[in-house]
Amino acid sequence: MIDFARVQKELQECSKDIEKSGIKVTPKSDSSLSRLIGTIPGPVGTPYEGGIFQIDISLPDGYPFEPPKMQFTTKVWHPNISSQSGAICLDVLKDQWSPALTLKTALLSVQALLSAPQPDDPQDAVVAQQYLKHYQTFVGTARYWTESFAKSSSLGVEEKVQKLVEMGFPEASVRSTLESVGGDENLALEKLCSG
Amino acid sequence: MGDCTNSDDDSVYHDYDSGDDEDQYVELQRLEYDTFISKDPVITVITKESLLAAQREDLSNVMEVLSLKEHHARTLLIHYCWDVDKLLAILVEKGKDELYRKAGVTSVEHDNPASSKLSSMVSCNVCIEEVPAANVTTMDCGHYFCNDCWTEHFIVKINEGQSRRITCMEYQCDAICDEEKVRTLVNARDPNLAEKFDRFLLESYIEDSRKVKWCPSVPHCGNAIRIEDDVVCEVQCTCGVQFCFNCLSETHSPCPCFMWALWVKKCQDDSETLNYISFHTKHCPKCHKLVEKNGGCNLVNCICGQPFCWLCGEATGRTHTYAFIEGHSCGRFKEETKEKNERAKKDLFRHIHYHNRYKAHMDSLKLEMKLQTSLEGKILALEERDSTNREFDWLTKGLFRLSRSRKILAYSYAFAFYMFGEENFNRNLSAEEKLIKLNLFENQQQQLEANVEVLSSFLEEPFDTYPSHKLMLVKIKILDLSRTVDNICKKLYECIENDLLSSLLKASGIASYKSTGVNKALELAC
Repeated sequence: MIDFARVQKELQECSKDIEKSGIKVTPKSDSSLSRLIGTIPGPVGTPYEGGIFQIDISLPDGYPFEPPKMQFTTKVWHPNISSQSGAICLDVLKDQWSPALTLKTALLSVQALLSAPQPDDPQDAVVAQQYLKHYQTFVGTARYWTESFAKSSSLGVEEKVQKLVEMGFPEASVRSTLESVGGDENLALEKLCSG
Repeated sequence: MGDCTNSDDDSVYHDYDSGDDEDQYVELQRLEYDTFISKDPVITVITKESLLAAQREDLSNVMEVLSLKEHHARTLLIHYCWDVDKLLAILVEKGKDELYRKAGVTSVEHDNPASSKLSSMVSCNVCIEEVPAANVTTMDCGHYFCNDCWTEHFIVKINEGQSRRITCMEYQCDAICDEEKVRTLVNARDPNLAEKFDRFLLESYIEDSRKVKWCPSVPHCGNAIRIEDDVVCEVQCTCGVQFCFNCLSETHSPCPCFMWALWVKKCQDDSETLNYISFHTKHCPKCHKLVEKNGGCNLVNCICGQPFCWLCGEATGRTHTYAFIEGHSCGRFKEETKEKNERAKKDLFRHIHYHNRYKAHMDSLKLEMKLQTSLEGKILALEERDSTNREFDWLTKGLFRLSRSRKILAYSYAFAFYMFGEENFNRNLSAEEKLIKLNLFENQQQQLEANVEVLSSFLEEPFDTYPSHKLMLVKIKILDLSRTVDNICKKLYECIENDLLSSLLKASGIASYKSTGVNKALELAC
C-alpha cells in the first residue's frame, strides 16, 4: 500500500517553497494520490531555459520503498530522455532510489539531469549521437523544442494565425483548426498538414 | 589374443611362478590404492544441516583476522564471494578501510540518537512522522529510521531477491544492514519471510562461492559439494551422482568440458538428421514434399506425379533418353553446391564413425554392469568350493577397472571427433602436425581398446568351474591386465593433457586421471 500520509506531507512540503525551487507537484485528480503531475522549470543557462516541463508521476504500491515512475509529457530533446515517449534514464529512479528521497528531490534530480546530460548512457541514441558529434546542432534543436513545446503561451492568437497563414494555409481553416486544438500552434500545424 | 599383455614391454611382472611373488604383487597394488586415496583432495558434501558449519571456518577466520562481529564478517565474505584469499589480498594491498567500504561494512561506533534521547520523540525521514525513540532502529552506519519503515524496506528488498545486500535506506549510503536487526524486525511482521531471508544468507555460501556448487542430481538430493583446489575435477556426491564439478554435467574426462557440451548437443539435436536429409533428399518442385531417390535414373517421379531432375531438382517432362530429359538441361557444373554436399557427406560420415564407437563402448558398459551380479555368483561358488581361499578382491577390482576404462574409452571418441575435426579449435596446426598428433593419440587409444576387450573377455570366463591352477592363471591375467589398462589410461590422459590440449585455441583442462575413479565427497566433520 502507498503511504498516502507521507505523500500528503510531501505535497505540503513542496508547495511551501514553490517560489524558491519552482518545482510543483499536484494530484492528477482529487480522488487519488497515486497519479500526480510534476512541473519543473528548465535550468538557467541551458537550452531548456524558460521552458516549463511537465512530468507524469505514477506511484507504485510499495512507494516510498519502491521508486516512483516518472515520464516527461512535454516533449524534450535530451540524450537521456526519449524524444518519442518521454521515458527518463536516471539512476535515482532505478537502483539508486532510496526511501529517504522524496518526489521533490527526485524532480530536482531530473532537473539536474537537464543541466548535465550523460550522452554515454543514452536513452535516445539519435539525440546522444547529435550531442557528441554536432553539439551546436544539438543545442539548436533542444532550444527549438523548448520554444515549441515547453512554452505554453509564447505567441498571441493573431500571431499564430499570421505565422500559419504565412506558411501557406488559408486563413479560415487556420482559425478553425487552431480553435479545435485549443490554441496549440504545433498541434494545429500537424492537423493542417495531415488534412 | 590373450597374450597381448605379456608382450607388453612395460610390464615388469613376467614371472608368476612363485606364490609369494603373487602375494607381494597384490600387496603392492593395495598399497598403491591406499596412497592414491590419501593423496585425494578433500571434497566435502554439504547438507542443509551442515551448511552453517561449512561456513563457520571461513567466518571465524575472517572474524579473527579482522576482529569483526559475525554479521560484518558475513557481509564481507558475501561481497568477496567467500574467497578468503582474495579478501586478505585486498586487505594487504588496499587496506582495511577500502576493503570495508567496498563491501558496505561500517564498524565505526556512532552515538545512538535514539538511545541518547530515549524518552523523547524522534523524526523518521521516510514516513516523515514523529515517533517515540524506542520505535527507532539505528544501523551501524549511524542512520536511523522508524521500525515500520525499516520493516517495509526489508520486505521489499527480500522479495526483490536482494537478501544478501540490503543497503541502508539513506540516499547514497551503501552500508549493509545488520542481519540480526533485519531478522528481528521482519520476523515480527512475517516469520516465513524471515526464514527465507535466513536461507538466502546461508545459501550465499553455495551460490556465490566458486568452490561450492549444488549437486546436479534430479530430483535434487539437497546437497552441495565443496572442493579445495582445482575446479576442473570430477566428484561423487553422497547421493551417488557423479559429475564434472566444472560444468555440472555427467563425468566426461578425458573430453574437455566445451567439447563435451558440443558433443551432447550434436548427439541430441537433429542436426545430423537434417544433414542427412539435405544430402539424401530433394523437395518436389510441385508439392514440396521431401523425395528420396531409391534407385534408377536421374528422372525422378514424386508420388504427386510430378517428374523432376534429381541432379538439379527442376521440374521436367515425362519422357527421357540416356542423355536427355524432355524439356530440361542442367549440364552446367555448379562447383559450390557440389562442395557443400561433399562437405556435408564427409562431416556426417565422420560423426557416424566416432559416434558408433562412442555408443558401442557405452553399450558394453551397460552390459558389464550386469556382469557384477554374475561375478558375485561366481565368487560365492568359488568360496563354497574352497573355503581356504577367500581373497577375491582381484575380481571386483578387475571389474571396476573395466568399467572405468570403458567410460574413458567412450569419452575419448567424443574428444577425438572435435580434436581432429574440421571445427578448427586448433592453433594453426599444419596438416602434417595434426596427423602426427592424431597417430600418437590413436595409437594409445587402440592399445587401450585392445586391452579393455581382453580384460572384458577374461572377466566373462566361467572360471568358477576351473581347477585351482587354471584359476590362478586367470587371476594373474586379470591382475596384470588391470594394471596395464590403468597404465595406458594414465598415459592417454598425459598425452591429451600435455600434447593435445595445449594446441587448442581455447584454454581447457580435464580432470586428471585417478586410478581409483571419481573422487567421493565426504560428509563434513562437524
